[in-house]
Amino acid sequence: MKARGGTDEHVLLARCRQGDEAAFRELVDQYKGLVFALITRSIANRARAEEVAQDVFLKVHKGLPYFRGESRLSTWIYRIVVNALSQERPDLAGISLDDEGDGRPKWEPASDDRAFGDLVLRDRLQKAIEQLPVRYQVLINGHYMKGMRYEELAEALDLPMGTVKTHLHRAKRALRRLLETEYR
Amino acid sequence: MRCAELESRFEAVADGSAELSPDERAHVASCAACSARLQRARDIEQWLATREVPEPPPSFTAAVMMRVGREKWRTERAFDIGFNLAIAAGVLVILGSAIGVAWSLGLLDITIDADLLGQILSPQLEARVTAQLQTIVIATALLASALALWWWAETAAE
Repeated sequence: MKARGGTDEHVLLARCRQGDEAAFRELVDQYKGLVFALITRSIANRARAEEVAQDVFLKVHKGLPYFRGESRLSTWIYRIVVNALSQERPDLAGISLDDEGDGRPKWEPASDDRAFGDLVLRDRLQKAIEQLPVRYQVLINGHYMKGMRYEELAEALDLPMGTVKTHLHRAKRALRRLLETEYR
Repeated sequence: MRCAELESRFEAVADGSAELSPDERAHVASCAACSARLQRARDIEQWLATREVPEPPPSFTAAVMMRVGREKWRTERAFDIGFNLAIAAGVLVILGSAIGVAWSLGLLDITIDADLLGQILSPQLEARVTAQLQTIVIATALLASALALWWWAETAAE
């Protein structure tokens, strides 16, 4: 299996496990773009986002000896991203993606985010995305990112492949409803 | 009722994975709420598709490697401290045992005495030392190997 950038994933992993720093640097270089983009799209504070992205790679480094290769390396890394974002926003972490209920969002935006005034749509959308459940955030942010594979996203979020599109539509619907209700 | 049915399909219409029937299109065209919702869904779709991808700073990999190095150093240091403490505890135990053995032999009771040399060399004491010789040799060997291990660990760390 080839890792991003071309090096064979198993070879790269084996080198990393042997403590080869150059190999781990290669791994960071291969995944930093997607990891950083995923996190920065969910955490507006750039400095904090960078710190969380670095934490993700530290966890990857610590976890490499225990990674048995049952899933793709990329999937495992994206799971770590989802966990890191969940730790960052525990209030938005445990919300089930299946529970759509009556269509109203089941989560409450933070009170200081309500007074949003007349900011342009992009800013309002960004703010609204940050209020979505973490798994919705990752789904939306990852889906529209060049280089992110559909199956990696599904595996990282533990979603059957066939339901990704349905969940993506739900996530966008939740986003639209947030804009209609909280950020008018 | 029509509005509620359509509302859940606007995202699929906006990303092109579903289409409205002519009837539905006619409804959306005549319903301000549905029209606004569909437009908003399209705006969101377009925004998501054209969103800027944030790039990590050029120093990102170096920063990660520095933190990895620091973490490694901390782990090794904690291991070193633990190892040294274990060795120190071992040395204390061995020294304690040696003192215990010496005490049991009565060596600690020796005072400066004119007959001291005669007592040490007396055949009776010699026999007692010989009986404990195995214990003394093992304790000395343990102490020596602990010190050697300590020396080896310190040399390897450098």
